[in-house]
Amino acid sequence: MLTEIQLWAIFNGTIVTLQIAIVAIVFGAVFGVVVALGRLSKNKVANALSWFYIWFFRGTPLLLQLFMIFYAIPIIYLDATGITFEINPMIAAFVAFSLNATAYLAEIIRAAIESIDGGQMEAAKALGMSYRQAMTKIIIPQTYKRLVAPLGNELIMLLKDTSLVSTIALFDLLRTTKTMASATGSWIYYIYAAAIYLFLTTIIQVVFDKMEKKLGIYER
Amino acid sequence: MSMVKLVNVRKSFGDLEVLKGVNLEVQQGEVVCIIGASGSGKSTMLRCLNHLERISDGEIYIEDVLSDKRANNKDQIKIDPVTVQSLCTDLGMVFQNFNLFPHLTVLDNVTIAPLIVKKEDKKVAETRALDLLSMVGLSQKKDEYPSRLSGGQQQRVAIARALAMDPKIMMFDEPTSALDPELVGEVLATMRQLAEKGMTMLIVTHEIGFAREVADRVIFMDGGVICEEGTPEEVLLNPKEERTKSFLNKIL
Repeated sequence: MLTEIQLWAIFNGTIVTLQIAIVAIVFGAVFGVVVALGRLSKNKVANALSWFYIWFFRGTPLLLQLFMIFYAIPIIYLDATGITFEINPMIAAFVAFSLNATAYLAEIIRAAIESIDGGQMEAAKALGMSYRQAMTKIIIPQTYKRLVAPLGNELIMLLKDTSLVSTIALFDLLRTTKTMASATGSWIYYIYAAAIYLFLTTIIQVVFDKMEKKLGIYER
Repeated sequence: MSMVKLVNVRKSFGDLEVLKGVNLEVQQGEVVCIIGASGSGKSTMLRCLNHLERISDGEIYIEDVLSDKRANNKDQIKIDPVTVQSLCTDLGMVFQNFNLFPHLTVLDNVTIAPLIVKKEDKKVAETRALDLLSMVGLSQKKDEYPSRLSGGQQQRVAIARALAMDPKIMMFDEPTSALDPELVGEVLATMRQLAEKGMTMLIVTHEIGFAREVADRVIFMDGGVICEEGTPEEVLLNPKEERTKSFLNKIL
């Protein structure tokens, strides 16, 4: 069985995993809306910037993005200024995962907005609403229900992808248990890790299912 | 006072010219029914009035104020957004597919534009909305979501929603075309009620009987122009133009 020290280590690893996933999904959802609106915008600059953002962050591995932020930026900074500095690995993880989640969620949000019937925008405009008012009061609220399922999906992906942070000196759930497994030679720690991942993803699934039903209340 | 005036209005979508020089003037309190085959430009004409489409050529005046002007598909005049907004809110619009906001209750559908566009007080907006809903006979449905209503009920809510902005002109774009036959009557009754109150109305419709009964003037559009216009008796009973005759023969 687990010693108290091991138990706490696994607990702390789980917290690291959860923190990164939750920070990333929250930032990703907020900035995802911004990037999605940029993609839908008639403004050429906003459109191109958003396109480029999504192109880069979806088109390169998350692990590479993590390395660039954690390893490459301090080196670039050193070359440019001659001053050394280190990025806190937790901050680097927050930033990399948030930037990456933003790109994926932006596409999800854009698709959800485009799926709303065009008559809604016309009706809003015919009532005198500006584009902004129509978006915030009419169009975007109608996407919430359609966003819940893909958002839950993204959160589950993020939760599992957090295991990548073991490469930048962070002890997440998987690395913690792996260390124990190699130190003791017992495979049971992998079972513990699997159980915790499954426990967390089950909660996400149940919560998001409930949320979807609740938000769909206006549909017959 | 002239409520709506179109001067030689043209509208093209790419190479397709939908309006080919429309001239029309509508007086205050007038009920104008617009008939014609699909693709004749009826809906496009209405949509140009409240800037859902911008014209390619010509001039549009709302209550004698210039609202859109363009020559040869370029040089669209820049009208300041506040003027455009106030002109557009003078025009209420009812759509073929209702376009109610499905995430809002019936009451919220009616109050949302007064609340966020006119920044009306919530109590004032709700009292007025309830009056309008009882006018269209749906005050008991105020807390329902649109998906729980029949098509006829939804369209009546849409009429109340448009009226909540105190429009001076109501435009109806085939308001009964998406309805089951037994639900058409209730919507027409609501519109008749509005006409009796002296509302200026522009109605695109295929309901010839209704047009005959409530219209002061009937306009027959064909191929992007007004082909014939006059009183309902003149246009619907004794049409002069061959195209009007053949259209009426087809639908009656």
